[in-house]
Amino acid sequence: MTFRELNSKMVEATVVPGRRLFSQRGAMLAYRGEVSFTPNMSGGQGGLMSMIGRRVANEATPLMTVEGSGTVLFGHGGHHIQVINLSGETLYVEADRLLAFEGTLEQGTMFMGSQGGVMGMVRGQVSGQGLFTTKLKGSGAVAVMAHGGVIELPITPQRPVHVDPQAYVAHHGDVRNKLSTALGWRDMVGRGSGEAFQLELSGSGAVYVQASEEKL
Amino acid sequence: MSHYPGAGPTVHDPTTLPRDDNVNNYTFCVELKGSQWFLQKGKMIAYYGSIDFNGVGHGRLDRLVRTSFHSPLHASDWVVAEGSGKMLLADRAFDVNSYDLENGNLTIRSGNLLAFQPSLALKQSIVPGFLTLIGTGKFVAASNGPVVFMEPPIRVDPQALVGWADCPSPCHHYDHGYMTGLMGGLRAMTGLGGASGEEHQFEFVGAGTVLLQSSETLMAEQATGMVPQQAGVPGSGVPSTGPSQPAGTPRLPGQLGDLQRRFGL
Repeated sequence: MTFRELNSKMVEATVVPGRRLFSQRGAMLAYRGEVSFTPNMSGGQGGLMSMIGRRVANEATPLMTVEGSGTVLFGHGGHHIQVINLSGETLYVEADRLLAFEGTLEQGTMFMGSQGGVMGMVRGQVSGQGLFTTKLKGSGAVAVMAHGGVIELPITPQRPVHVDPQAYVAHHGDVRNKLSTALGWRDMVGRGSGEAFQLELSGSGAVYVQASEEKL
Repeated sequence: MSHYPGAGPTVHDPTTLPRDDNVNNYTFCVELKGSQWFLQKGKMIAYYGSIDFNGVGHGRLDRLVRTSFHSPLHASDWVVAEGSGKMLLADRAFDVNSYDLENGNLTIRSGNLLAFQPSLALKQSIVPGFLTLIGTGKFVAASNGPVVFMEPPIRVDPQALVGWADCPSPCHHYDHGYMTGLMGGLRAMTGLGGASGEEHQFEFVGAGTVLLQSSETLMAEQATGMVPQQAGVPGSGVPSTGPSQPAGTPRLPGQLGDLQRRFGL
């Protein structure tokens, strides 16, 4: 286990030589041993092209590379932390929410429009994800930040899950998502339920939802 | 105090409130039986019984202040509660915890300390912005997220530090490997490449315990008062004799010094 949850807002990461970590800049709380923190100009993995890609996609969070041997404590802004272990799946998450992740994971950017065309782009706008989102693929652990505690909801083919776009944190697995609207005349006259937009996730995988409608 | 799902909030009365213990993560209950507690102004949220709150410096409390309150310039932020009853303490929904000291010492960030027993002596730390508690007794402190206890050797982000017990004073640690060398020089001169935000930590060595809070959001700093204007007192503004650096910050290799700061690099 690379990440160990010390409490709901702090994780302890073990760094061993040859296995580096990426973490958000300034998220280190304390460390022990010989560990170095190098700012990562390209904002993650890959070469120059992926760096430019991230800049264009506005998914370039300031990251740093954590190398050496020792233990590091991570936490940021009093946000709750959820550790997600991936074994070959792809995790879709906003770059701002990434606290730390293992270097074994392959980082990439996804265009929201590639999942459902124009509706995908609309969905990105509504859920605050923008036009692009970050994906992490491979096996390893990711520490994700959320405002309020996080619950994991499994998605099975028989049971699609509806999520408030503002409470959506991340999802993984083979999941299709679509924005379902329940707009009626009440919304037009300002007497809506406030739940007019929902994210419907179907397929098989899991979605992480935070106990708050506040974005990071 | 058990919680049944769906049973609603637990309703407390004077007999079921805990004695000198947490009611929940964010509230602490102090029991007074003719005894006294020091508390920071505005941290009491409710009380049962008859409790008097007097500002420190109140004539009658002079003796108490002399024995257990040693930061005279900071006295206006504190009140003494005395009487009998139960008093609830909280601070802006931060996590609250009590700590017991047995003939020990603990230094804590001034904004985090809520209350303490007069059997402890409160003093200003040499480190600006910190207070030291010495003696035997209980105190209550708030933190952003639960407090994590670590043992030295450890290097801590300045914002995550809540305090330390029994350790020698912390020192600054600069990541020279990052700030020097070709790339470091380039970064320092051009400002390109960014800072990792982790070039500077507090380093603790020796035996003791370091208290960390789980987030980098600081609690509002409480003034610890001025330090005496005396040579040799850190932060007193009195120049020491002998050669010293012109500015307060140390000049690091590869830095342009004042020029660099002027250009905001």
